Amino acid sequence: MKEIAIDLGIPHHDLVSCVSCGLCLPHCPTYRVTQEESASPRGRIALMKHAESSGFIDQEFVGFMDACIQCRGCETACPAGVEFGSMMEATREALATQTSYQPWWRRLGYRTLGRPTVLAFASRVLSLLQRIKVVPKKLGLPQIPIIQRRLLASGTDVWLFTGCIMDAWMRDTHRAVQRVVEATGAGVQFPNKAAACCGALHVHAGLGDEARILAEKTMTAFPGSAPILVDSAGCGAQLKDYGHLLGTELAEKFSRRVFDVHEWLAERLDKLPKSQEPRGRVAVQDPCHLRHVQKSHQAVYQVLAHFTEPLGLDDEGLCCGAGGAYSAFHQETASQVRDRKIESIKRAGAPEVASANPGCLLHLRSAGVEVRHPLEIIDSIMTKDG
Amino acid sequence: MQISPDGNLLDDLRSVLGDRVRDGDFELGLYGKDGSVLEGRPSLVCLPVNTDEVRQIVKICREHDRPFLARGSGTGLAGGAVPVGDPVIIATAKMNQILEVDLENRIAWVEPGVLNLDLTKELTPQGFHFAPDPSSQQVCSIGGNVANNSGGPHCLAYGVTSAHVAAIEVVLPDGSVTLLGDLAAEPPGYDLRGLFVGSEGTMGVATKVAVRLTPNPPAVRTLLLDFPDVRDGAATVSAIIAAGLIPAALEMMDKRAIEIVEAFVNAGYPTEADAVLLVELDGLPGGVEHGVEVVRSVAERHQVGNIRVAADNEERELLWKGRKNAFGAVARIKPDYYLHDTVVPRGKLVEVLEKVYKIADAYDLIAVNVFHAGDGNLHPILAYDSDEKGVLERVHAAGRAIVTASIEAGGVLSGEHGIGLEKRDYMGMLFSAHDMATQDLVREAFDPEGFANPLKVLPSGSRCSDSFGQHVPDGAWV
Repeated sequence: MKEIAIDLGIPHHDLVSCVSCGLCLPHCPTYRVTQEESASPRGRIALMKHAESSGFIDQEFVGFMDACIQCRGCETACPAGVEFGSMMEATREALATQTSYQPWWRRLGYRTLGRPTVLAFASRVLSLLQRIKVVPKKLGLPQIPIIQRRLLASGTDVWLFTGCIMDAWMRDTHRAVQRVVEATGAGVQFPNKAAACCGALHVHAGLGDEARILAEKTMTAFPGSAPILVDSAGCGAQLKDYGHLLGTELAEKFSRRVFDVHEWLAERLDKLPKSQEPRGRVAVQDPCHLRHVQKSHQAVYQVLAHFTEPLGLDDEGLCCGAGGAYSAFHQETASQVRDRKIESIKRAGAPEVASANPGCLLHLRSAGVEVRHPLEIIDSIMTKDG
Repeated sequence: MQISPDGNLLDDLRSVLGDRVRDGDFELGLYGKDGSVLEGRPSLVCLPVNTDEVRQIVKICREHDRPFLARGSGTGLAGGAVPVGDPVIIATAKMNQILEVDLENRIAWVEPGVLNLDLTKELTPQGFHFAPDPSSQQVCSIGGNVANNSGGPHCLAYGVTSAHVAAIEVVLPDGSVTLLGDLAAEPPGYDLRGLFVGSEGTMGVATKVAVRLTPNPPAVRTLLLDFPDVRDGAATVSAIIAAGLIPAALEMMDKRAIEIVEAFVNAGYPTEADAVLLVELDGLPGGVEHGVEVVRSVAERHQVGNIRVAADNEERELLWKGRKNAFGAVARIKPDYYLHDTVVPRGKLVEVLEKVYKIADAYDLIAVNVFHAGDGNLHPILAYDSDEKGVLERVHAAGRAIVTASIEAGGVLSGEHGIGLEKRDYMGMLFSAHDMATQDLVREAFDPEGFANPLKVLPSGSRCSDSFGQHVPDGAWV
């Protein structure tokens, strides 16, 4: 196979931090469905070591790296505290800058996310196509509105981050989140178009420069010191990582203002109305970027428990296979990973399923799972309870 | 020297397995390692999904005069799955189906790639579990457990893997498929099943395993006892057993182990203590409560500090999570570790432990001790940084000294990790040449030409038919 010169630029200390004990294997979604070393965290780190020591990779290596969902479930499982996520991000960035890893059409797709006007136009086209029923249902897209109603600010106490895809396709979720936040007595404001996209998918794809540009722009859209609430686990994880991504004091300060909306609400439950009995059972799918990256998934349970009876799944936070753009580029693996999740959801046996991340929501819905954002569930309970 | 696989071998294997035969440079490297520090390189990797494919792989290997090596999850610590002599790897990880659960006869038929904890999780709602529970329980495979006759904390009361395997379907090194053992309680004839369990892949490949199911105990109590001195902890271990009690598990951790484990799990392990004992009692509620009182009174006679009883299952699981992740967590001190596995008479625990600390000091290494105290199974961990010049020589020398000290105290080479490659050349410390030649005769009865996992367990020279290459893997101290 053709060899390609490479320098992954991963600190030696990080590479050797893995002792290859293998305890990550069962917590890796791609190992779980393939049972192959090359699809395991331990295997991927060994591959990185091999690449760094030889200075060469081949196409097979690129495929192995591209097959990682970047859920970071391995980090939670790792007794040695190996920081797999940053090593994989460095590897992807090296591949994107030194090889033909990201083809032009993928780059174009990622670029669209940071351009609200282009994204809105593309979404409108998609919406029309949906109406003439040429968009396959299995893609799991929500009904995209042709005309988007604007989100209206109600005060300046907190910011609500709106994002790219979520704002274009799932703005009603933002509205539900806004109503729940307002029920605590807080006024909500929204950023301008500079906060078009957090750049999480770009980091995952290895497009570090694009991600850093988006991060710089996004930060300008949140003046002042009000907390920045995020209702998408993936975006929240990214915004909280700006300090690390940009390495500036300003970015550190910005990241400290970011909260997953459930974290913020969990501190203010006393300000919310109490739910009427009986409480419905809700199976909670923990998004990886909430559980393994932000490590704040418990807040979702706390908030849900105020209104419902939340039930955890029995798969120890194994990924659902969505992985941002992963489910689009690796449909077969993504759907095998999802099958395990669906089995776990079924075992929980609850009539309602919640997930606090738009990627997981879309991915699970495309398999026919009725799943809503936790705050949409709470919003509808509050509306009903009046 | 590396022998490149000849084209026909690859073609023949591909005709059976298609793209489940791997020969890529990067991927082959991944199957050269297990959980130990040893490293080799296979000639090819095969990923079969059923018995017949395994049978055909073995047959093709024979036709091409090429050895083979069965691999499970690759978490072994003695290099048993590290390829030597350019074997074809038969990775059984994809053979991961639980085929049949027969509660009435308390037997489950499983494929070798089923993960130990997955099996227990499947059985738990039905009131049963698979008793052997190595620290790597969440990832190690039943096939690997069979190969190594694996133990685990709860094997003190329940016995090791051999006691929990009724029968095994095996592809023998001659390519035939046979059933060893029987589901009947006392099968007639030689116990070939017992011979196969623990044979570390040198007698063939297990393709189906009939495991015995153990009922979940009606009551469980888990206690964490801390001691100001490791000697008091060790004395308590002997005194508990002497008091006539056999706890389900009786584990010990020293100060360094407590610190790293607590950093990972935040379970409230007492970091100021010199040692802790993790004691688990199970059975009928009355018996368990009696056991708790015995442990308490024995410990109080040995300067115990705090006695913490896990309030619920969640607390119990957290304490065990700490214990079972201790090895990996060593990386919090140094990037590499060498984990030893010897057994000493319980009464000699303190004496040998003190020697272990002295040996580590003498070789300028850090020793961490986490072990199955109840059965005297020591697991001294030597933490080091492989970037330090010449450190591996010191680690190996210290390891040899620890093994020697254990044997001098009346112990044995290995408790549960196996001999593999790591301790192959130490066999002579415990066995005479005559002993080893006799063991080799047994092996030859299964594998006269030495096709199955060659150059493992018995040192070269103990057999007349070491016909395959003797490529010594990197890091090997053979």
